[in-house]
Amino acid sequence: MMYNPDRRKIQDKDFELVEAINSGRFELFQELVKRYEQKLYNFGLRMCGDVCDAEDLVQDTFLNVFRYLKDFRYETKFKNWLYRIATSTCIKKRRKSKFAPERELSLDEFWPKEDAHIPDAVPEWAQIPLNKLLNVELSNTIRNAILELPEKYRLVIVLRDLEGFSTAETAQILNLKPSNIKVRLHRARLYLRDKLKGYFAHDE
Amino acid sequence: MTSDQHDHSHCLSMFQKLSEYIDNELDEMTCRDIERHVEECVPCKICLETLKRTVNLCKKLESKPVPESVSLKLKEFIQSMSDGRSIVQK
Ligand SMILES: [Zn+2]
Repeated sequence: MMYNPDRRKIQDKDFELVEAINSGRFELFQELVKRYEQKLYNFGLRMCGDVCDAEDLVQDTFLNVFRYLKDFRYETKFKNWLYRIATSTCIKKRRKSKFAPERELSLDEFWPKEDAHIPDAVPEWAQIPLNKLLNVELSNTIRNAILELPEKYRLVIVLRDLEGFSTAETAQILNLKPSNIKVRLHRARLYLRDKLKGYFAHDE
Repeated sequence: MTSDQHDHSHCLSMFQKLSEYIDNELDEMTCRDIERHVEECVPCKICLETLKRTVNLCKKLESKPVPESVSLKLKEFIQSMSDGRSIVQK
């Protein structure tokens, strides 16, 4: 079976490699691992917060990819298919362990209350250059705040804002409607914004 | 319109759309509507700017390298899988 890009609806830099593996060149699977191990490891860290869990996630995901790669249909980018597997691997894994309770975030809880102190100008942390602001401490604060989010919100913000998938791609990976992705993303961002507000309030 | 007398229902409807605005997912008219509103409404402007900053901070978070030991273990694991598969094929 030869690789024929014209047959495909979409272009993807990984198709050639995937097809080579599927034609029996299993030794090339290492190349696929090389391409994605760091991405998946970081996805695992962002979702689980734990080095061992992240390592497990990478290994289990590649195990599943190895099992199911022959069923890959070349209808989405390979990377999106990979994240679909990583995501379901992650969800299954976390169900087995005790974890942050699932809860709904409502828009209401982020809407400033009548009596809340509303500053009269954009705070400094939202104005000074980004690279002056983002140090190790702040990075860790953000990572921890993401870990506090209920899983369904965490998945969405990690895929959208950290992994860089579009709304449509994230909807496809999580098998949800785009409108659903948008709602969850907005609430997750508002949650983080509140955490950052608190973080910077200590400086004043 | 000053921030003292701004219409809360209008603000709330802006508030709901700020992420879509940041992501460029709104139609032209709604975008202009939001831009006009935040020019006049300080609380909404603060909301938008702090949310924008939150998103940009997330996007700038750095990736961590895979520890050498993890990478090596993974390599061996994959090797054992593909060896198994090759034998089955033959
Ligand atoms: Zn307003």
